[in-house]
Amino acid sequence: MSPRKILTIVFLAALLGIGYQSMNAAPVLSDQSYSYHGETKWHTNFSSARAVAVNQDKPILVYFWTTWCTYCEDYNQNVYSDPAVRAHLDDFVLVAVNLDNNSPEASRLKQQYGATYPPQHVAITQQGQQLAKINGYAKKKAFIDYLERAQRRANQ
Amino acid sequence: MTPGHILLYLALSVSLATIILLGRDYVKDAEKYSKYIPTLVGLTAGLLTTALIYLTYQFVTTDYSNAYVWNNTTDYLPLLYRITGVYAGNEGSVLLWATLASIVAFWAARMRGVSGQNRKLVQGITMGIVSFFSVMLVIQSPFNTITQEFPQAVPGFVPATGRGLNPLLVDPYMAIHPPVMFVSYALLTVPFAIGSAHFISLHRGQQGLFKKWYGSVLRWLRISWLFLTAAVALGALWSYTVLGWGGIWAWDPVETAIFIPWLFLTATLHAVTNYRPGRNYTVLAPAMTSTVFALAIYTTSIVRSGVFRSVHSFANEGIGLSLLILMAITAFLGVLLPLIYWFGQDGEGVTQDSKWITRSNLLHLAVLGLGTLAFISIWGLTFPLLRDLTTGIEVEVNAKYYNLWSYPIVLLILLLLGFYMDFDVEGHERSRIALGIFTALTIGAAFIKPSSAWQLASVSSTDTAFYRIVGNASVLSVVPPATYVCIAIIKRAFERIPNISRRGQLKEFGITLIHLGVAILVVSLAFTYLFTAQSSVIIQDARNDEAIHHVPESSYSVQAANYSETTKPRNPDPRRIALSSQQVLSKGSSLNGTIKAVHGTITAIKRGPRATVAQLDNSGVWIGLTGENQSSTSLSRGREIVARGAVMWNYVPQADAVVVTDARNVGPVSNPPPAINLTRVEKQSMDLRIYRDGNQIAAGNVGQSRYIKQGGMQVRDVLINRGLTQDTYVIAALNDGTASLTIKRIPLMTPIRIGVLFLLVGMILVLLFDPIHGLTAESHRSRTTVSKNEPTTSD
Repeated sequence: MSPRKILTIVFLAALLGIGYQSMNAAPVLSDQSYSYHGETKWHTNFSSARAVAVNQDKPILVYFWTTWCTYCEDYNQNVYSDPAVRAHLDDFVLVAVNLDNNSPEASRLKQQYGATYPPQHVAITQQGQQLAKINGYAKKKAFIDYLERAQRRANQ
Repeated sequence: MTPGHILLYLALSVSLATIILLGRDYVKDAEKYSKYIPTLVGLTAGLLTTALIYLTYQFVTTDYSNAYVWNNTTDYLPLLYRITGVYAGNEGSVLLWATLASIVAFWAARMRGVSGQNRKLVQGITMGIVSFFSVMLVIQSPFNTITQEFPQAVPGFVPATGRGLNPLLVDPYMAIHPPVMFVSYALLTVPFAIGSAHFISLHRGQQGLFKKWYGSVLRWLRISWLFLTAAVALGALWSYTVLGWGGIWAWDPVETAIFIPWLFLTATLHAVTNYRPGRNYTVLAPAMTSTVFALAIYTTSIVRSGVFRSVHSFANEGIGLSLLILMAITAFLGVLLPLIYWFGQDGEGVTQDSKWITRSNLLHLAVLGLGTLAFISIWGLTFPLLRDLTTGIEVEVNAKYYNLWSYPIVLLILLLLGFYMDFDVEGHERSRIALGIFTALTIGAAFIKPSSAWQLASVSSTDTAFYRIVGNASVLSVVPPATYVCIAIIKRAFERIPNISRRGQLKEFGITLIHLGVAILVVSLAFTYLFTAQSSVIIQDARNDEAIHHVPESSYSVQAANYSETTKPRNPDPRRIALSSQQVLSKGSSLNGTIKAVHGTITAIKRGPRATVAQLDNSGVWIGLTGENQSSTSLSRGREIVARGAVMWNYVPQADAVVVTDARNVGPVSNPPPAINLTRVEKQSMDLRIYRDGNQIAAGNVGQSRYIKQGGMQVRDVLINRGLTQDTYVIAALNDGTASLTIKRIPLMTPIRIGVLFLLVGMILVLLFDPIHGLTAESHRSRTTVSKNEPTTSD
């Protein structure tokens, strides 16, 4: 077999390898019921999340995001990766809404909380009353402050 | 039917007629209609160009009777951005693409080229693409009227103002980037036609045409490569000035989509220059030639069919199906036909020598390497869709995927390039030693990390082994192979350039510049991303505070001045959107019950206990003010007013129409009530001076514009101070007097600009001065496209 043929076969095998490896190594964004952001796990169905919130007596945090939003990636990298942030997030039932999702439920939430661009977080009560809203990107400390404020209001 | 529709239908008819005539001559192997073909192709191009000019005219004059114009522009935009609106949506982009493709087809038809049956096939395929676009335009026309958009509207209804242009497109780079990109895509039509025709000819048991058309293919590909490179560079500069897109490159699906044809075209050019009739690359070179266009269509389909949403989704109202059909056709002609032929072959039918290190094997490796890079990008766009379709699991493709998979391949290509150039000059023995040394240096450098910032990516223990290995490597590893390339290329240039013809020298210089440009770009890009640093400061009362503020953790200080809040359009004239009394009367009872703004001069006033009414322009149109504030002083005779309210037809016997409203919704034309709401853009800005170590380094305007009627979308005006070693990039968020400033230090932007310049200048030199196939070459000027000599091996 000529060198060029051997090289071509190696090339094709490499492509298959890259294809297989990379597809399996890609971080999962969502499956049937959850959406994953950094090291956090968010409900994608608002109704079932609200049922969980009622059951556990927790407020709800709605996260409006998109796949193309670079600040959402910054949240994944810098904010959700922090254990202190995750500890605060545990006090909420988390719901992620992809702004590119045009389902009736997502549209209703977008309209109700005025979410027009990513990223936005809205902390709400189980009845849907707004507790706090974070427009755009907030650094770790500011993010935690918002969550604490929402938590205090929820307990009032 | 509008003149625009007629032009499109005519263009479609003429292009279809051309195809029929070409088809008839092709099947009968006759030349009966040959002499008419250039005229017909020219006529198609003329009709499409006229349609494009007509659409542009409608945009310039903001003719909102056209729904597409209404959708993509508005009055307050300057002329340049009204023109940009032409290709802001799908229909306009397709018209631009179709026009350019038809001009390219005309250009190709005008050049005598190679005669015979295959010429008709090539022309037929080229015109087939033009016709397909024309069909798309007829189905979804940029000339549809506003009445077609709103069938329930009254006849003759024309909106007073347009919806506006996507704010992200209001940028000088965006005015040029799309046309340059579509020029390159249009130029790819001819190589596609030649490549496909070649395989059709082979399938029919004929000779194929690649050998004869080689020079032509090379020129088309090179021109397209030049434009595509310019388009990528312009797009990158654009994203650099728009906040939040991660600098010049963010692997957004649309960025990736234009990069794929670029990479594949680069690989194709390497394969085509390695083509030797009957000996080398006889299948791969023509196959890749036809595949590039198919890939351009594939990537366009993916990003424009609405499957992908991205920051680039300016237009996604579904030209999906047409594009998917075009994708299937081009994939069949450009990819499947060559593959079928290749499978039917016993191989390339050539005895190859068994030596490993030959020039042609090294070039083959370059083609494979570039092909791998293209594959990584194609796969990145494709596999999330595949995985979602097959498992319902949505996965993320981020910069890490593209960067980490591409990085080792880029290093290998650089080492290979250095070796190839060195091998060309030094011969076997010494070049192998050099390769060994630089490979060892590359591997060694991968372990030198002065700090974590030098690491290619942050990886966690849950990442795959590949990500952990590459992500942990130091960015320093790019320096040895890039140095190797620079040394080898310059050495080769000194060796070869003095001893060849003038044209040959310019071409060699071009090749040297292109490869140097690549080496500079790779190093600078790798470093610029890892070493961008930022710090921030807040000025609480920017309206009144003109003090110099130190930016913590940096050597910068900033000073703000002239904080201002303005709106666009400035001093808008409500008469543009409000109806005159004459217009109200002419529209008649169709307005009954609708809420409208109306303007006119008060000619009579009657005040009653429950309402005040004012007559406009001595006509049958009256303004009726109800409520407590009826005695409003805004109503006096001779005053020109504007009012917004419900138009009631035959409401009272004394008047034709009464516009029922209240005092809040009435005001003088010079100061219209808020309900008229003419403001489109709220802009907050301030002047800023930037100091480094006490010395002023930049001054300019920063701020943001908020587009009220476009979802409140915000676009930032950033201040960029271009420096030799680093750019200082300031982003400001201004909110009610508070200015939050982020100052980024972005290193190595100057080398990136130089690298791009080297690429473009090098490409122009090669395109013009290739001694055999250059645009100025004798062989081309004498209008014979038959290659007189075998292609040179020096590429």
